[in-house]
Amino acid sequence: MGIVVSDVSMDFGKPPVHVLKNISLEVKDREFVSLTGRSGAGKSTLLYVMSSLDYPTSGKVEIDGHNIHSMESEELHRFRNRSMGFVFQFHYLIAELDVLQNVLMPARKSHEEISRLERAQMLLERCGLKEKMTRYPRQLSGGEQQRVSLARSLVMQPKYLFADEPTGALDSTNAEGVMQLLKDSCEKDGMTVVMVTHDPDFAAMAHREIKMADGQIIDKIERAKV
Amino acid sequence: MIFLAIRYLLERKRQTLLTLLGVFFGTMAFVAVSGFFMGFQGFMVEQLINNSAQVHIEARLAYLSNHDLDAAFFGDEFVHSFWSVPPAGVSGYVGIQDPQAWFARLDADPRVKAYSPILTAAALFTNGKVPSVAASLIGCNPTQQSKVTTIADYMLQGKFSDITTGGNRLILGDELMRRLGVGLEQTFMVSVGTSAPVPFKVVGRFMTGSRGADMQAFGALADVQKINGTPKQINEIAVRLNDYLQSQEIEKSWSRLGPERIESWADLNANILSVFAIQNTLKFSMIMTVMIVAGFGIYNILNMTVNQKRQDIAILRALGYDAFDVVMLFFSQGLIVGLIGSFFGLICGYLFCRYLQTIPFMNVTPSNPQGRLHISLDSLIYVQALGFSLLMASLASILPARAASKLTPIEIIRQGG
Repeated sequence: MGIVVSDVSMDFGKPPVHVLKNISLEVKDREFVSLTGRSGAGKSTLLYVMSSLDYPTSGKVEIDGHNIHSMESEELHRFRNRSMGFVFQFHYLIAELDVLQNVLMPARKSHEEISRLERAQMLLERCGLKEKMTRYPRQLSGGEQQRVSLARSLVMQPKYLFADEPTGALDSTNAEGVMQLLKDSCEKDGMTVVMVTHDPDFAAMAHREIKMADGQIIDKIERAKV
Repeated sequence: MIFLAIRYLLERKRQTLLTLLGVFFGTMAFVAVSGFFMGFQGFMVEQLINNSAQVHIEARLAYLSNHDLDAAFFGDEFVHSFWSVPPAGVSGYVGIQDPQAWFARLDADPRVKAYSPILTAAALFTNGKVPSVAASLIGCNPTQQSKVTTIADYMLQGKFSDITTGGNRLILGDELMRRLGVGLEQTFMVSVGTSAPVPFKVVGRFMTGSRGADMQAFGALADVQKINGTPKQINEIAVRLNDYLQSQEIEKSWSRLGPERIESWADLNANILSVFAIQNTLKFSMIMTVMIVAGFGIYNILNMTVNQKRQDIAILRALGYDAFDVVMLFFSQGLIVGLIGSFFGLICGYLFCRYLQTIPFMNVTPSNPQGRLHISLDSLIYVQALGFSLLMASLASILPARAASKLTPIEIIRQGG
């Protein structure tokens, strides 16, 4: 079913600043889409609106046929927990928990930490963190922290992964590692990935690149078939 | 979320310890202050309710007023009557009118623990050339009287039951004995009203510590009735209740049952009870002050934690945790601190109270033979302390927890955490 964005606009403040202007967009299942553009183009806001973290002023977003902004709170949180993964520029790891416990946090919400343990360990192994599962976030490098946050977003095998500049705070080596993991998630695990990036090389790794400026889509570049 | 709440608490050891100490001292102060006040009040009440009956059923005697006899003498003929010598004296009855009816009523009342029929007479005690001493002579059945008051516990010589068989034997209060200058097994003279003096023998001595009570003499009911010239008459029934707090309610209901005057211990000691009410207000104010200070400790530290953990709140909400989970994350921290702090506060409060009980503090008296502080260890204090501590911890935690639950992930992410 994918993600369908229909005529979404978003205003901020008074007098209103139009951050998104009548955006319509469709993201197919298993598609890897990158959102690019200059700072202030509205790409992060669009990502947050698409992922239910923010509400549009008008228009609607449907994921798998559900209008996510009209869902009841309980249903929305269950949907986020089960079907969505998030990676942000900052890792947002919980300092008091070790690497494995951080990765299992989404599973705790649905009382699946035992059944998801093997997957969490596998993901950490895939992220090159097999030996560091019992370490705390402060004992990891920036790249490692971001990989842990990626593993956390994948532990529930979500259908949709939303990434907001996941490589923004990383050096090139770590950034490439994270990007490869995102690409694998899409190609091997069949996830739908929507990623905001400033980096043209990483944007080019997606099936489709959507360029934004002044709250509008100005170009759509199809690089590969899903 | 308790798992994460515990992690937060363990990670901030110093803050957690400080908050714990606040609750700990608050609970301990609650236990100690309540124990002290309740112990003191309990001791006082015990003195009041045990040394005397809790309800007195007494013959009703009223002084005549200037116009009480107007109608009897003049009917309705005169609106105003003027007496050159107004009538004086008492009206009513000198004895309980139908003691058997009262006994049957008291036997059937489940609220009554025991009762004792009494005849009290004003007597003159004479021992040789020692000046005569006026004092109350109380006739009773010692077995029944022992169930109503604690007089038997204050015996210094002899046994209270020694007057059971009668035969002009008396048990005297220590003060009365001292003033009469008599000793055990000595005989002296007693007269009531205009009756001829009758010899009585001292068979026991008691000391309550209250000079008024120690100026009394106890004898067998039949002996006192005989010397008073009123065989079979009693002028009081002293009643002990299963629950002394029911005394005023019982007083009201019994007042309608006969011509007798009913008085409860609470009425007789209204001043002391009002002092207790002031003490309770003072106690409550002190405890609340300590608790509020401890509550502010929890509130401040949790508020700070909420601010420090904004990023965690953002990611938890993004991972599918809802507002209730966030409330529980912070609320449970307050509750855990409240539970642990109050648990140790209760234990240390109890130990402190036990220590206070060992301190010699007051003059030794028959009612307080060891002269130590009376500290209550009533389980109700501990239940209340736990309840108040948890209530305070809950109230102090719920506000920051609710504030945290209202944060939306997007607000935090936009502000850069």
